[in-house]
Amino acid sequence: MERLKTALSYILIVVIILSLAVVLILSVGSDVPKSFMSFFRGIFGSLYGFSEVLVRATPLILAGLGVSIGFRTGFINIGAEGQIYWGAIAVTTTAYLFPGLPALIAIPLGIVAGFVAGGIWALIPGYLKARFGISEVINTIMFNYIAINILGILVRTVLKDPEYPLPMSSKLPNGFIFPLLMYPTRLHLGFLIALIAMVLVYVLMWKSSPGYKLRVVGLNQRASLCSGIPVKKYIVFSSLLSGGFAGIAGVGEIAGIHYKLLEGFSPGFGYVAIIVALLGKNNPFGVAAAGLGIAALQVGSLSMQRQAGVPASISWIIMGSIVLLILARSTLLTFFAEKEKEKKV
Amino acid sequence: MIETGLIAALTAFLSATLRMAMPLTLAGLGETFSEKSGILNIGLEAIMLSGAFFSFIIAFLTQSVLLGVCAGIAGGIAVSSIHAYLSIYCKVNQTIAGLALNFLIIGLTSFLFLIVFGKSTTLPECPVTPKIPIPILSRIPVVGTVLFNQDLFVYFTFIAIFLAWFFIHRTEWGVSLHAVGENPKAADSAGLNVFRIRYFSTIANGFFGGLAGSYLTLGLLGFFMENITSGKGYIALVVVILGRRNPPGILLAALVVGAAEALQFRMQTAGIPVPSQLFTMFPYVITVLVLFLAMGKSREPSALGIPYIRSKR
Repeated sequence: MERLKTALSYILIVVIILSLAVVLILSVGSDVPKSFMSFFRGIFGSLYGFSEVLVRATPLILAGLGVSIGFRTGFINIGAEGQIYWGAIAVTTTAYLFPGLPALIAIPLGIVAGFVAGGIWALIPGYLKARFGISEVINTIMFNYIAINILGILVRTVLKDPEYPLPMSSKLPNGFIFPLLMYPTRLHLGFLIALIAMVLVYVLMWKSSPGYKLRVVGLNQRASLCSGIPVKKYIVFSSLLSGGFAGIAGVGEIAGIHYKLLEGFSPGFGYVAIIVALLGKNNPFGVAAAGLGIAALQVGSLSMQRQAGVPASISWIIMGSIVLLILARSTLLTFFAEKEKEKKV
Repeated sequence: MIETGLIAALTAFLSATLRMAMPLTLAGLGETFSEKSGILNIGLEAIMLSGAFFSFIIAFLTQSVLLGVCAGIAGGIAVSSIHAYLSIYCKVNQTIAGLALNFLIIGLTSFLFLIVFGKSTTLPECPVTPKIPIPILSRIPVVGTVLFNQDLFVYFTFIAIFLAWFFIHRTEWGVSLHAVGENPKAADSAGLNVFRIRYFSTIANGFFGGLAGSYLTLGLLGFFMENITSGKGYIALVVVILGRRNPPGILLAALVVGAAEALQFRMQTAGIPVPSQLFTMFPYVITVLVLFLAMGKSREPSALGIPYIRSKR
């Protein structure tokens, strides 16, 4: 019975979302079947389109994994965006310091640097929360803006390419650049790293003792404290991991896509990553699926814009609505349950 | 001669500061009501954006600023009501709900904007509220010109600050608001309707946030474009903390942020080779420091962000 209700509520959400999409498409005067066709053709119609989904999913999965670790432990990390920026700054700085390294050393070094930089950027609010009880929600948002501005200062001063007037760094040395997996598409090593990270996070969280403790702390801090788990330490640890994975997402964007540090390279990946973690139910495989789903939604919408004239902003509407409906889902059920109770009385 | 130039520059700078501070103050006032009652709404950005959009569209279609402002307020309240329903009735994670609303409204406003105006290179414009100088007072140099040669939004904001302060600190309703935000269980036992007070405070949030949004389009800019608030809602959250959830404090905090913004514009136009990001960053760094230093002294309402479930102990 409970299962049936859950299934029903999900079906209800799908129906609502689809009808919303139809209404939106009709409201711009586009043809509904043609729009849906172009949506799916954009995703599955060509190798390039499909590879774009994977390319867009890469930072979402990595940062989403990070956010999900934080959520599991009760560290509400809204700061993935800033941590992504620090990952990007770290890989660029490392490349500046050691330009001659061969790829075999340079790429792992860049990833580690990104992990550490992103991790530290999350660790500060994590420590402030664990040690002083200061809300991490506001602090991580502040840290996003601080990171974005620090990047802005860096690409105008020390990391600026002197040969160009625009605020951006010069091209990364070849050793640091992620190899492409499927030329001529943009699919790069970052996607494989995201998949490896997914498995790693699973093993860490479900097959290791520290991971078990991280999850227990998230479930019940008081009980963890009573059974001897140093709760504060684990919150700080989770913030470090959380930011670290988001940092790797930033490394991937710079070393795999742009090849140089520039402002605004992330169109809000860090914020979408929170949605990805939520939709993936903080489970690494779920996060990967959600990341792919959101990426497909965005790629499909772009194709719908090109071919059927439906504004691509429809993807943001759909994404926001899905989250709101999923949030309200469980109470929709209790709402019906209460109605039933009333009937019985 | 140099003196008059200096005075003119100072006046312009202070006016710019005040204008930048007004939307932040208004939105901050709304969020204060909400947070006092225990509802943390990260979706303030969405409220402002919705207010900005609907006020613009109605003002554009009717050529009436007043109707535009009403539509902006309605748009703000609509968004805050969704958040209120989710966080009070459905008892969901308020942060996530706010974030999702931000996505939804950014998408929805740019989508609707495209439907109404299509893809045009020229931005459609709407009427802007005129400046109404207050006789005599506006003729005082510097202070008078800055304070008393403004539009109705600015005057209203000053009145609203006083009223909000009076309401929160000098009336029984204000006490109820505190009670609900600090200890909803006790408030409930004392016979207060926790849910109703929280709904009321979130509607106040929508009202002021929507007004703040309409000030952006109808007071400052006279046009609308995609994501016009560009993070102002988040800055307003900063203002609320810096101002310690106290209306006069919020004005002060908004003025500090506004001054940083105005200064940044000045330096950019003057061509001073310091990256403007240094100034943009300022309010955020201050917020982190204030949160750290004010620790233990001024804290947030105990029940902030925690849904109230009646049957739960």
